[in-house]
Amino acid sequence: MKIEIAGVGTTKSAEKWELGLLDIAIKAAGKALKDAGSVTPDAVIVANALGGALGDQQNLALHVAGGLGYSHAETYSVCCDEASGGAAVRLASALIRSGMHDTVLVVGAEKTSDALPDMLETVRSAGLDAAREASFGFSPTIAGALGMQHYLSTYHLDKEAFYHIARIAHQHGSTNRNAIFPWALDRKQYLKSPIVATPLSVCDNAPPCDGAAAAILKKGSVQTSNVCILGSANTSDRKGIVFPITSLQLPAATQSATMALKEAGSQLSDMSLMELHDANTFLAALSIEAVGLAQPGKALERAQTDDFLLTGTMPLWTFGGHKSRGLAPGASGMYQLVEAVLELRGDAGENQITNANKALVQCLGSFGAQAVTHVLG
Amino acid sequence: MQIAKSWRRQPSNLRLEGTRCTGCGQLEFPTVIRCAQCGEIEFETYQFAGKGKVIVASTVYEATRDFGEHVPYCAAIIELEEGIHLATMITDVDPADVTVGMEVEMVTRRIAAQGDNGPILYAYKFAPQLQIL
Ligand SMILES: [Zn+2]
Repeated sequence: MKIEIAGVGTTKSAEKWELGLLDIAIKAAGKALKDAGSVTPDAVIVANALGGALGDQQNLALHVAGGLGYSHAETYSVCCDEASGGAAVRLASALIRSGMHDTVLVVGAEKTSDALPDMLETVRSAGLDAAREASFGFSPTIAGALGMQHYLSTYHLDKEAFYHIARIAHQHGSTNRNAIFPWALDRKQYLKSPIVATPLSVCDNAPPCDGAAAAILKKGSVQTSNVCILGSANTSDRKGIVFPITSLQLPAATQSATMALKEAGSQLSDMSLMELHDANTFLAALSIEAVGLAQPGKALERAQTDDFLLTGTMPLWTFGGHKSRGLAPGASGMYQLVEAVLELRGDAGENQITNANKALVQCLGSFGAQAVTHVLG
Repeated sequence: MQIAKSWRRQPSNLRLEGTRCTGCGQLEFPTVIRCAQCGEIEFETYQFAGKGKVIVASTVYEATRDFGEHVPYCAAIIELEEGIHLATMITDVDPADVTVGMEVEMVTRRIAAQGDNGPILYAYKFAPQLQIL
């Protein structure tokens, strides 16, 4: 069964002092509902990674449905770290495929600016292994630093090699009015950026921000002109930061992409663009290799070419990725999906690529131990 | 709540105790409830020797909450003699002097204080192995 994406909406990635978690979720949902025309969803699914831990609204989906004025909707809140958005879309698809519902609203929302930076990083760390990693001070950022260091020494590269990941994201984000950091990043800025944990610097990390993105999923009709979900997969692998750092592999990302492509009846080369998970430059490089866009150790070499630019053979992070658009953790997967839909609809404005037919969208949770992939077309 | 958590983790945090599967002999640290290799649910306590080598290390300048007092500190992945990979802090050495392959051993150190009035968590870190002259 085809699943259509009948409407999409996002809020600007920013520090929105005047709006709360529930407000931005409803704002994005309102835009998606308006985009879809007159629909009333049977179910509301909300992706959010940190709200409960930050002491914000829990059971968010119920409150979003209430805020939208729905009194009989089935609601679910999905909390799968930075894979929450993708997981919520997959759950919505399952409800539609099962015949339980025809129309489902999916919203990803995160409010990070109410927390101090060290508190935010602590709460983000709770998605890792609590007993052996988070309680010893390990965070996604420190894990990214260790991964970068091991990647550089294993493949005999200089830190500068990671610049190209950030460069591409910022180049694309520079024309995205919804991006939190909409400017190009030059080599000098990258190399001078303050170190968070060697060798990872501020410019290797996606900036946390407030943000919400939403989509209306519908049981597909045969003649639909809407973008459809052609395939999807949600896979997990051994937990913990140690495996990706020491092996320089993301098996869940590889398996998830392979399964989603197979279901879609597509090859990697059929994709017109990809939105991969760039919470830091290390995970971005491993994702490129995991989905098969580069051999192990060769992602950064390929990133030096024009291949991943909007005008290249396989555009990545078409609206700036998490790096330039901003990382709203639980909403990040929804931003990726909405951006890919805009590309496929031809509604991407200055960020539009030519001949956009199919897209692969992948989000990662818990430092790559979970991967959710959607193939759209 | 935090006190009970610290107490529960004492065998692993203070003595480096893990488990040895009675079914297949698999060693795990920290302890596991069910063997991921063979499905066994009976285990023997296994005392890890507390010696290993650094695989990769990073000097941390921005820490998570409760870890700011250590900055800058060395975070590392080490391989224990028994083959287990472990995320840990390296101490008693300038972070810049920690090298890949450096031989390290377990020491017990203050890890973090939970707020001004909370309990202080003591647990393992690893330090360069003492050279006997
Ligand atoms: Zn066993």
